Formats: sequence, structure tokens, C-alpha cells
Amino acid sequence: MTAFPGMTYPSGPQDNAPKQSKTKKVKTTKVVNGIEQEVEIEVEDVAGPEWGPRAALKVLDKELIRVDAPVKVSGRAVYTHDVRVPGMAWARLLLAPQPATKITKLDFSACAKVPGYLGHVVIEAEETRWLGQPVAAVAGATSEAAEDALRAIVLEYEALPFVLDRDSALKPDAPKVSRRGNQSKPQTRGDEAKAKAAIEAAPHKASGTYSVPVVHHACLETHGAVVDWRGGEEATVYCSSQHTFGFAGDAAKTLDLKSSAVTGIVEHMGGGFGSKFGFGQEGDAAAKLSKLLQRPVHLMLTRKDEFLMGGNRSGSHLELAGGMDANGALVGFTARAHKQGGIGDGSLSGLPYIYKCAEAWTEVSGVRTNMDSSRAMRAPGHPQASFATESLLDELAYAAGLDLVAVRKANLEDKVWHRQLDRVAKEIGWFEHPHRTQPGTAKAELCTGIGFAISRWGGGGGPACEVEVAIERDGSVTSSVGSQDLGTGVRTYVAAIPAEEFGLPLSAVVARIGSTRLGNANGSGGSVTTASLAPAVKDAAYNARRAFAEVLAPLLGCTAAEVLFADGGVQTSAPGGKRLTWKQACAALPEAGLRAKGVWAAHLQGNGIHGAQAAKVEVDTLTGRVRVLHMVCMQDVGLCLNRAATRSQINGGMVQALGYALLEERVVDTALGLQLNPCLEDYKLPHSLEIPKMTVILDDEDTRGVIGVSEAPIVPGGAAIANAIHNACGARIRSLPCTPDKVLIALGKVS
Amino acid sequence: MKSFTLINPTTLDGALEALVQAMDRRGRSKAALLAGGQDLLTELKEHLAEPEKVVNLKGVPGLATIQVDGALLRIGALASIEAIESHPIIRERAPALAEAAATIASPQIRSVGTIGGNLCQRPRCWYYRLEEAKCIKKGGAECFSYSGRNKYNAIFGGGPSYIVHPSDLATVLTTLDAQVVILSPKGTQTLPIERFFTLPSEGSVLKETVLKPDEIVVEVQVPLDALSQYSAWSKFKERASYDWALSSVCVAVVKDGSTVKRARVTLGGVAPIPWRVPAVEALLVGKSLDEATIAAACEEALRGAEPLSENGYKIPLTKGLLTRVLRSLA
Ligand SMILES: Cc1cc2nc3c(=O)[nH]c(=O)nc-3n(C[C@H](O)[C@H](O)[C@H](O)COP(=O)(O)OP(=O)(O)OC[C@H]3O[C@@H](n4cnc5c(N)ncnc54)[C@H](O)[C@@H]3O)c2cc1C
Repeated sequence: MTAFPGMTYPSGPQDNAPKQSKTKKVKTTKVVNGIEQEVEIEVEDVAGPEWGPRAALKVLDKELIRVDAPVKVSGRAVYTHDVRVPGMAWARLLLAPQPATKITKLDFSACAKVPGYLGHVVIEAEETRWLGQPVAAVAGATSEAAEDALRAIVLEYEALPFVLDRDSALKPDAPKVSRRGNQSKPQTRGDEAKAKAAIEAAPHKASGTYSVPVVHHACLETHGAVVDWRGGEEATVYCSSQHTFGFAGDAAKTLDLKSSAVTGIVEHMGGGFGSKFGFGQEGDAAAKLSKLLQRPVHLMLTRKDEFLMGGNRSGSHLELAGGMDANGALVGFTARAHKQGGIGDGSLSGLPYIYKCAEAWTEVSGVRTNMDSSRAMRAPGHPQASFATESLLDELAYAAGLDLVAVRKANLEDKVWHRQLDRVAKEIGWFEHPHRTQPGTAKAELCTGIGFAISRWGGGGGPACEVEVAIERDGSVTSSVGSQDLGTGVRTYVAAIPAEEFGLPLSAVVARIGSTRLGNANGSGGSVTTASLAPAVKDAAYNARRAFAEVLAPLLGCTAAEVLFADGGVQTSAPGGKRLTWKQACAALPEAGLRAKGVWAAHLQGNGIHGAQAAKVEVDTLTGRVRVLHMVCMQDVGLCLNRAATRSQINGGMVQALGYALLEERVVDTALGLQLNPCLEDYKLPHSLEIPKMTVILDDEDTRGVIGVSEAPIVPGGAAIANAIHNACGARIRSLPCTPDKVLIALGKVS
Repeated sequence: MKSFTLINPTTLDGALEALVQAMDRRGRSKAALLAGGQDLLTELKEHLAEPEKVVNLKGVPGLATIQVDGALLRIGALASIEAIESHPIIRERAPALAEAAATIASPQIRSVGTIGGNLCQRPRCWYYRLEEAKCIKKGGAECFSYSGRNKYNAIFGGGPSYIVHPSDLATVLTTLDAQVVILSPKGTQTLPIERFFTLPSEGSVLKETVLKPDEIVVEVQVPLDALSQYSAWSKFKERASYDWALSSVCVAVVKDGSTVKRARVTLGGVAPIPWRVPAVEALLVGKSLDEATIAAACEEALRGAEPLSENGYKIPLTKGLLTRVLRSLA
């Protein structure tokens, strides 16, 4: 599987912050044990922008309503799906109806009889190797014509043998999924004999086979593009993408244009979660059709296409064993894991997940099947590893009769996790809970349980973004960069950072994003966006402010260093000095206004996220229903640019984790070679009534710069919920999702 | 979807006429009746139905009324599920019907979906809904769920198809002895709802009801009596926000003090038709609804269940629901 562009997996959180060369002391507010104190801290002494003390911030670190909220909730926001350009054709893909085929006939002659049919391109004429692999694309004058033409294509094939599940793929006589075979070379770490001996010698042991299903990103906006080319030297390409600068080049190649002649646009984006890098086969087909027809083409995947070819989070089969000493230390651990990433190799984070272990041995390989390749999905490999590790840890803790929170702390050196675990335990009511060292039993009809799990992520950035901040003579301010906003709130902080810098309200700054005509930006994956982009925005705003101060100093009768930007105006720092409103100040600018650029600065960002989550569930032992009552997440986030958006990101992660824990799974018929639930009715996402009370605690003891927040919160929830089910009633479910049938089976109620 | 001609009759006769005209000599129809469209549109989009004509019933006035004639509740075929859910007399005198309506789909779908469409909707089995799977319900040779994935399929009354009937209203209406009023070229006929639904082994495996292509459900009649008054409903959804029943239970009882005089018990989500369990009804008569009776009733209700490979859980689940419903009526 491909990693995120520019992403790094940190080894240990919080210690990855850039090394400080020279330091200076500044006063700031610090929260210690929930109490705010003014303290002096050391920061880097670099000339240049600083976020400044948190307590002094007026816009950042506050509850901001997203600047694009009105257009989004009113339906005016234009997503790629909504793009309509003159003369646009509509296109659809023909997908392989079976997991492996040898194509014997691909005949488009009947398409010509369909009114409105415009043309087609062939993507694969010979052999297909996975269910849903694109074979051809057709275009019509309307979406209906495109669909009719699609159905007029005659595709005949010889069905080749295939495998859709791990067990079948590993059989010696299994059909070969690819030339590389059905299993990737196992990667091993540690000493197997030593790890086994450590487990053997441990007073408490547990082992089990854990599995997680293949699940889907289920982006509300499907993949796809609108290629606006009508012949000529230039083109505009709209794409539902996580990387504005990542697809225009591909489109240019297909259209035979210079890459600078193609403008990429991602104005609004309906979710990607890791699945939307690059132009994809759908984008490429749209460009080919556009070239063929010399007119714009709209090609967005249908929901069913999306399920079959839009990517997925790999499943995993994990055989784990562990040994624990009397103090709760994990002394031995072994894991044999098979990742299931379709024709790809899947992803799985290192095991045991986060917790230290003196003797650990792991062997990990990918098992291939004739399904689409997994793609990065929000914290790739982490939720899988978390579920297995945290489940085993609970089983060991119970075997040792130890408190579930104490056991976790016993295996974590980093004290940040300790304080986070303590806090989520308190919030969820752990210390009043009756089952802290042994799970409850199913005697009662309704049982309540609590579970815990932790997460980590990098979230540091890198040099990639070029931001321009412009101040006009009429007082307007724009902050521009080509970056996309996947729904994480980028557009809002692109405006909020200059607003803070100039002492203006958020509404005084307009953010322009989502176009390759604006400054460069990296792709949004691996939570690298904020730590890459926010420092560059800050730098641009800082440079603009300094340049503006030079202009204003003579007017105010002071030096540039004495010009203060605050409360919607400018003034000198001298007492009783002159003050201008922002508009008056801007009137002093030359006609062209003022423009300043900004680039990344390492000292404005940090790296290394910790998180802890607790879930409280109610299990109905008569019916197997699991209701999540409460989820609590505590996470360090560095400087929080927008508390509302940050909480939303964390809530969203918890909701996705809840879906993983209780509902979501790709269901296939391994004999027929079909996915049975390729629609949002049968692929069960959590909806409003599934959502529990959710508490987000931002760890304000973290004084670092900005860090990407959003991968970590999706990691622990699945494990925490599964652990809570066990804690409630003793039903240990080792395979997600924990659906009612599995709960009833685990309770011994199904004969 | 395939293109079709939309016909908008303004009278029932006009609708019937349009249906009759769309029949071929062998009695096959080229038309589909459209009510709220919540199911039919999906059928059209997924190419499960490809009619040449769609006859829109919504232009026919007077079909959406809900009225009480003495002890008879008369619900027009176009009455929305939402209207049933919020109707004060239904809530008071046939509470299970209003409760069941409230558990159907989402508020949006309930505001558009109709009772006629709800009774006539097609199954939700994965295989049936997937165009590529040429299952027995679509004229194929096999019910793939039998040897394939069958978590949501039938544990009673299966074979040769193992669908479960998706209608929640049907489960309640069966319990309440409802009648279905059907208009055909021969006139109007009133049918007990139990005779409206057919097992795949009895009627055509391609259909779920006795309804012919030139027949229209015009009304559903429910006696408002002591039985309907004391009725209760429980539906288990895997996803609370909206989902079909993994299993559901409707019970109505007439009691004298704590002693049951009459009882009706129907299970939903477990069979190709609403699954009445007369043996349980008989068992309950003359008893009070204590825990021992309830336990015996649960055993009886699930006796003879034939689970498939992945739906054995429906047995304890249904017992659990029945336990709760009976307790609520004790
Ligand atoms: C996401 C979703 C979830 C749902 N969940 C549930 C649920 O939990 N429980 C439940 O019971 N239902 C559920 N439904 C089904 C929903 O209630 C039905 O789709 C709806 O009641 C159908 O009514 P309609 O008026 O829209 O029918 P239409 O879609 O218009 O028609 C459905 C079928 O009935 C036929 N028909 C309609 N009216 C008549 C008539 N008067 N006479 C003869 N034939 C007729 C049509 O020809 C068509 O074949 C769900 C539907 C959806 C889409």
C-alpha cells in the first residue's frame, strides 16, 4: 500500500519536536491538573513569527464557526459532483462483474443506437484481476444517456477462478491472485523463541485470534472528476481529491498538455479519509473521454462503483499471545498477522500497539484476494493493531486480576498517556464502576461496561506550502494557498491566522484555497496538512504585518517595531499614541495594496500526538444489542487553531470508530464472487441515533506549536467499545464488528 | 433506470384501466403501480423492475384518508406511514400499529411511503437487491442465501426462497386481524390479511402476495376492539436510526383481570410472511402473563425454527423480544 505523501510515522510522540538551539523565556498560561497558572516557559529564540502566549490569543484557540459553514449547510457549496460546465458530457464506468475474468468480447456497437451516446474508451480489454476493476468508460449527453449506453455494452468473458477470503487464498492449490502469489513475504521482528519463553514463564497468559473486517471510507462524495477541456491549450480539472496539486499533472499527460496549462480545482470536498490521492482510473478515463470528444466530461463514481473500486481499509487476521507479570507488565508477546488488502498488501501498525514489551515477536504478511486494493484510511493500520492489542491486554489484566487503567499505565513510560488515561477514566466514571479488575457477568438483562484504549500519531508537517496574504487599500484581506479542505477546517484557519496577526475579527479575512493557481500545498494525508500549512500562513501574515508596519510607522510617528495591530485598528505602543482604524490604515497603502508570502517554519509546529479514549456501553443480554452510552477522548493537539473544529474532528473519529466497532463491514459472497452490500443502506454507517454522549478533552498542558490532530481519534474507539462489551457482561468478541448475533453467540445463547 | 411512460390517472377506474391495458395475453404486466415510490424507485434504478409504464396512484383523490367507522378503522392505501404513526385514534385504540409505524425507516421515508406500498414492497434480501445475482426471486434457479450469506434471512417458512417479509405494518396488521380491500376489474374484494401474503412454497416464488398485476390495494381495515386496544410491538434493528427488523414481535391480548382470554401473536423479520404463532396464542389463553408462562410462550414460539448457517441468533433474539412484549402486557 502506498503511504501518504510526505507522511512520517513517529517512533515516540512528543520527543520529535525540533531540537531547540537558542531559547528565551516567555510568560504563558499553563493548565496543571485542571488549574490554570501563569508560568514562565522556554521557547526558541528565533527572529520571526511566534504564536505567542495562548492566553493572549483573540481568534485562534477559540470556538470558531467555519467560514464555509453557511454555504455548506445551505447547499450552495460547489463540490466536484455539482460542477456543470457548458457542453459537458456525462460519463460512467463499466466495471468487471466478477473477481477474475478473461474478456472474450467487448462490443460497443449497440451503444450507437442509444440516443445521446457520445463515445467510449477501453480501459482493460483482456483480463481483469479484481471485482469492480474498470473495463471501459462511456459518455453521453445526459447522465441517463451515459447509463443507457453503459448497459448497451456487450461484455462477455470467461470467469477465471478467484479467491475473496483469507482461508481460500492460503490454500496450497488456491488460484493465484497475482504473479507475486497470494501472500507477501512475511516481515518478522524480534526473537520468537525468547518471546515464547517469556510468555511461558509469565504468571498470567492469554492468547486469541482477533479479526477485523475490510471496511470502507464511505466518503459522502464519491470519487471522480470533471475535466473541462474543449480543445485548445488549456484545461481546468475539478476533482474530489485530497491533493489539489496531485492530479493536474496526470490530467495534463492524458490531455497532451503542459502540466502548467492545467488548472486543478478542489473548491469543496466531500470526504476522502485517505482514499483520494491521485487522479485515479476514474479521473484518467474522464480525461481520455474529454480528449476523444473534445468537450468537458463529468465522471463521478456511482455509490456502488465507490464501494467496489474506491478503496477500503484492509482487514486483518491476528493470532496473538501474551504474558503478564504480577505487576501488570507485558513481559512477552507474539503476533502472527495477515493483512487483507485485496490485491494490495494492506497496512498494519507495529505490534504490540504502543505498549512496551521486553520480548516481542511479530510476523506480518499480506494475503491477497481478488478485490480492490486497500488504500490509506485515517490512521492506516492503527485501528486494526489497536483492537487486537487492547483486547489482549484486557484479557491479560483480567487474568492477573488487575485494574484496566493501572495495567495500561504499567506498560507506558510516557507520562502524557498516564494523565490522559486517568482523566478519561475519571470522566467515564471508572472509579465508581464495579468491574475494574474482573468483567461483569450476563446475569442482569442490561449490563454496563467500560473499556479503554490509546492512540498515537505524528502529525508534524514539512516545507511545502506557499501562502500569500494580501491587504488591499479598501481594507479587505485575503489569505491564499492552493490547499484543499477535506472538511477539517483548513479554509477557516487560513483566514483565522491572519485575523489574529492583524488584530481583526475572523470575518475580516477571506480565505482562498483549492486551486493550483494559488500557492503550492501538500496533499492532506497523515494529518500533515495543518502542521505544514498553518506555519506558512502565519509566516505570510507576519511578513505582511511587518511590511504594513513599515508603511504605517511614519503616519503614526513611531518606528515600525512600535506599530501595534489590535482590536480592529493600529496604534503606536507608546501611551496616548495615535490610533487608526483598519480601514484608515489600509487607505495609506499604494494602489496595488500589499502582498506578502510565507513559507513553513519548523518552530511553529510540533509532532507526536497522544490520545486516550474510554467507552461506556450497555449490553442487552436478551437481544445482544450494544448501545454506546458515552465516549470520552483526551488528546494533545499542540496549539489548537480552532477548538470547535478540533472537537468536531475528534467527534468524527469517534463516530467512525463506533461504526467499526458495531456496524461496518464489507460483506462478500465468496462463492458467487460478489460484494453483497455495496450501498449505504446495507453498508451500515452509524446515524444520529447511534451517536452516544461524546466528551472531548483537549490536553491543554501541551504547549507545542500546531500539530495535525485527526488520525489519532479514529484509532482507539473500536477497541474501547469491544473491551467495554466484555467488561459489561463477559462476552469477549474477537472479531469486529460486534453485531448482536456475535454478542448472543459470545454469551452462549446460540445453539 | 429504463425509460418508461408515466401515466397519471385521476380516478381509480382510470388507474385500473391503465393496468389492464398494460397486460399481455399471457397475463404478464408491462406496468408498475407507483405510490410513494420509496421502494419502486430503487427497484427501477437497480433494474430489478423495468416496466414500460408506471401508473401513478398519487393523482387519485381520496385514497389517503384515515377514518373510523364505528369500530372499524379504515386506512386508505395512500395514507402515509407518518400519518398512521401520528393519528390520535390509532395511537389510542391500536397502539401497536402506531408504534410499528414509528419504527419504520427514517422520518423522510415515512412521510412519503404509504401503507399500500408498505404491504406490497419487495424483499430486502441482499441477493434479491443485487442485479448481478440471478436468484430464484428474479427467475433464477437458486436461493443463494440458503448456502451463502443469510444473517438476515428466514428461520421459518423458508424454501424455495428464504427471504423475510420486510413490512413492519404487515406484522401488526396480521395480529390485529386486518382486512385488505382490493380493487380488480371484477370489482372489490375484501381479504383477511393472512390470505394476502403467500409463502414461496405456496404462491409464486416471484411474488410475496396474492395481488395480480391488474389489482390495486385501495384500503386496509382494522377492527378497533379490545384486542387492538391492548396491543404491543417490539422491533429489533441492528442500527437504531433506520433499519429493517432483524426480528419483531407483535402481541395483542384480551384479559379478564390478569387472565388472558384471547391472544394474537405474530413474529416479523423471521419468515417470508408475517409469522403468526397460533400455538403460542393457545398457550397464553387462561393464563396470567407471569415469567413461567412467558418462558413457555417463548419456547413455543420458536419451536420448529430452522435457522440457516448465520441466523441462529434470531432464536434467542426473538425470544428476548417476546419476553419483553409479554411483560409489558402483563
Ligand atoms: C431505507 C429504507 C428503509 C426502510 N425501512 C423499512 C422498515 O424498517 N420497515 C418497513 O416496514 N418498511 C421499510 N421501508 C419500506 C418503506 O416503508 C416502503 O418502501 C414504503 O412503505 C413503500 O411505500 P411507497 O408508497 O413508497 O411504495 P412504492 O415504492 O410506490 O411501491 C412499492 C411497491 O408496492 C406497489 N404498490 C404500491 N401501492 C400499491 C397499491 N395501492 N396497490 C398495489 N400495489 C401497490 C408498487 O407497485 C411497488 O411494487 C424502508 C424503505 C427504505 C427505502
